[in-house]
Amino acid sequence: MGAFQWLMKKITKVFGRSTNALFYTLLYREILKEVNQITNNEDESLIVLREIGKRSAYESCERHSSIFKFMPGNPKKVLEYFEILWVVVFGRELDDYTYEEIPKKESQYSDYALTIKNCPICAGYGHDEEDSFDFTKLKDERSEGLACGLCGMLESVANFILRIKRNDYRIQIIEQECIARGGDNLKFICKIHDYKDWAKLMDSRNKERKLTGLYFEESLEEEEIVQETKLDILDKLQDVISIDKLEEYLDEPLEGIKKRVSDIIRDKMNMEPEHFFDYFRNYEDDMIRIIGYLGTHLLNEYGGLLEKAFKNEWIAKVFGYIFKQLKEMTLLFIPLDVVRDYNALLVNFLDQIAPLEMVENVKLFTGKDTINYIFEGAQMALENLGIDFSELKENVWEELKQERENGLISSETSAIDRTREHVPQIINILQELLMIINDILTLPIRILISESHYGLKTAINSVVSEEEGLYGSIRERFDNIFDQIQEIRK
Amino acid sequence: MSLEKRKMNFSRKELIKADATMNQMRNAIYILIRLMEKNDISDSKDNLRRMGQNIAKTYINYWKPTNIVTINNVKDVISTIYQKVLNSGVSLEINEFEREIRVQDYKCALCKYHYSDIEIAGCEILLGFISEFISLINRESYEHSIITLKPYKVYESKAYGNKSCIQIFKYKIRSEG
Repeated sequence: MGAFQWLMKKITKVFGRSTNALFYTLLYREILKEVNQITNNEDESLIVLREIGKRSAYESCERHSSIFKFMPGNPKKVLEYFEILWVVVFGRELDDYTYEEIPKKESQYSDYALTIKNCPICAGYGHDEEDSFDFTKLKDERSEGLACGLCGMLESVANFILRIKRNDYRIQIIEQECIARGGDNLKFICKIHDYKDWAKLMDSRNKERKLTGLYFEESLEEEEIVQETKLDILDKLQDVISIDKLEEYLDEPLEGIKKRVSDIIRDKMNMEPEHFFDYFRNYEDDMIRIIGYLGTHLLNEYGGLLEKAFKNEWIAKVFGYIFKQLKEMTLLFIPLDVVRDYNALLVNFLDQIAPLEMVENVKLFTGKDTINYIFEGAQMALENLGIDFSELKENVWEELKQERENGLISSETSAIDRTREHVPQIINILQELLMIINDILTLPIRILISESHYGLKTAINSVVSEEEGLYGSIRERFDNIFDQIQEIRK
Repeated sequence: MSLEKRKMNFSRKELIKADATMNQMRNAIYILIRLMEKNDISDSKDNLRRMGQNIAKTYINYWKPTNIVTINNVKDVISTIYQKVLNSGVSLEINEFEREIRVQDYKCALCKYHYSDIEIAGCEILLGFISEFISLINRESYEHSIITLKPYKVYESKAYGNKSCIQIFKYKIRSEG
């Protein structure tokens, strides 16, 4: 699994609001039964459930459209990232599945069949008295199965991504085999349609829906043109910032990355890289601050998660303390040689794409300067996003003590207990973050050495396997951090 | 369906150990409420509560927090159900004069956004779910001290634009008739 796939899945899981999976499945079942109370027709109930799934996913996609700007923009790639779609929609891992390409004549894209061994929606269906939706009453052989609502959700998310990436193709996802209906597996057929075919398909679906005369007043206006809104950096760069492309970049050596950055500047800014960097000549320190500033804002682009999280005063404070701690620890524990390596990497990167004078100025910075500038930029961005650094105490313990004395945190025993319960997790997160810093510190020298041979990915993997190498180690630490965050959120 | 095929899939007991993200399902509840209104279902509030009751009837076959619920442990039992099933820490108050239990949930799994076109909160489902769950735990008990809960009302909800959801139950103790 690619690094970005893994990260997307983890973030979606940690920051989504979740319940126990059995409650989810039973609620899904009850929605179908209520629909059936209205339609009194099992075939129509499944059509309506699919429509509910589609609309509910569309509503979520609209709320968090920034997330999908990272996804690849062509139908084949979208399906290759089906695991992410599954996690976005269902919030749990897709365990055991096979993926088959079905070539289609006279079409640019093939169809795909996905066979999923375990279906949580069908789990144990038929064992309990309340499983009263009767699949034997289905008359239409085209009718789908119990997972049709899930199917509608997946189709909606896939097409939202294609639309936001301004692609003219759309994906139709049909449930072809259902375990609750007696099938061996859950099986989806994914058909890729060009815009004309898709419009015809939507038209016939709408006519079918109108014939029944029930249910929804209007069809989902999902095909409206995506309006150009504010000029955000991701909109401009969404063609180059997507998870599949980022993975490609990781496979390339530094020279390749420099070439890519130059191409982006030429393509998107319509200027030569040297002219672009010339704007920052004699303001090199600001340029480095901007790296920290933009880096933090880019993190926030993922659904505005940081900004939303910082609306909670407590989270904003904890994050502020972690940031302060990181800033201090970085300068305290990183050997200056290592910091110098990072500086050398920056100089190496700017060499030949930035004006000579600027490269010379950057060479004058000490490693400590560079780290400080990056942290200053990041701090400015965090202040924008809602952390008030001026209000933070010397350390988090003083903060806890102070708030208890002031009565700002509820005096109820349960609230204090809850805070105390979270302290070990916060300490674990801090510890893991420090360990990650240590791991990352070894990176620059590896990148420089392997620049012309193996590139960044080889350095990350450290010539050992993904699981055992540096990449594996960092990933394991992030796994622990995500687990701790999940515990805190519970 | 043969039992052999069923064995290959997840069991409901296995689902208890996993979590699922509610974003789309939460939206689905409000789409269902609109669908009920569009199709002139007059008792949609009761229907939502019935959904919760049905969920409890199945859920208890796979997990229950205790074997008996009395006035002494009812707060802990409700708190445990919210935590284990809905991943939510709630605060509870018992009003002995009104015979009410009031549950305040800042992270309600079924309500998050304000819908100006909807007058029924998704957490009506939880009123049905919790009260039925408690009744089912106590169904085989002959103790005089057992408590029964009935859904009363959703007093506040994020779906109405409030900051938290407040669900209120009426209770009765068997020995008091």
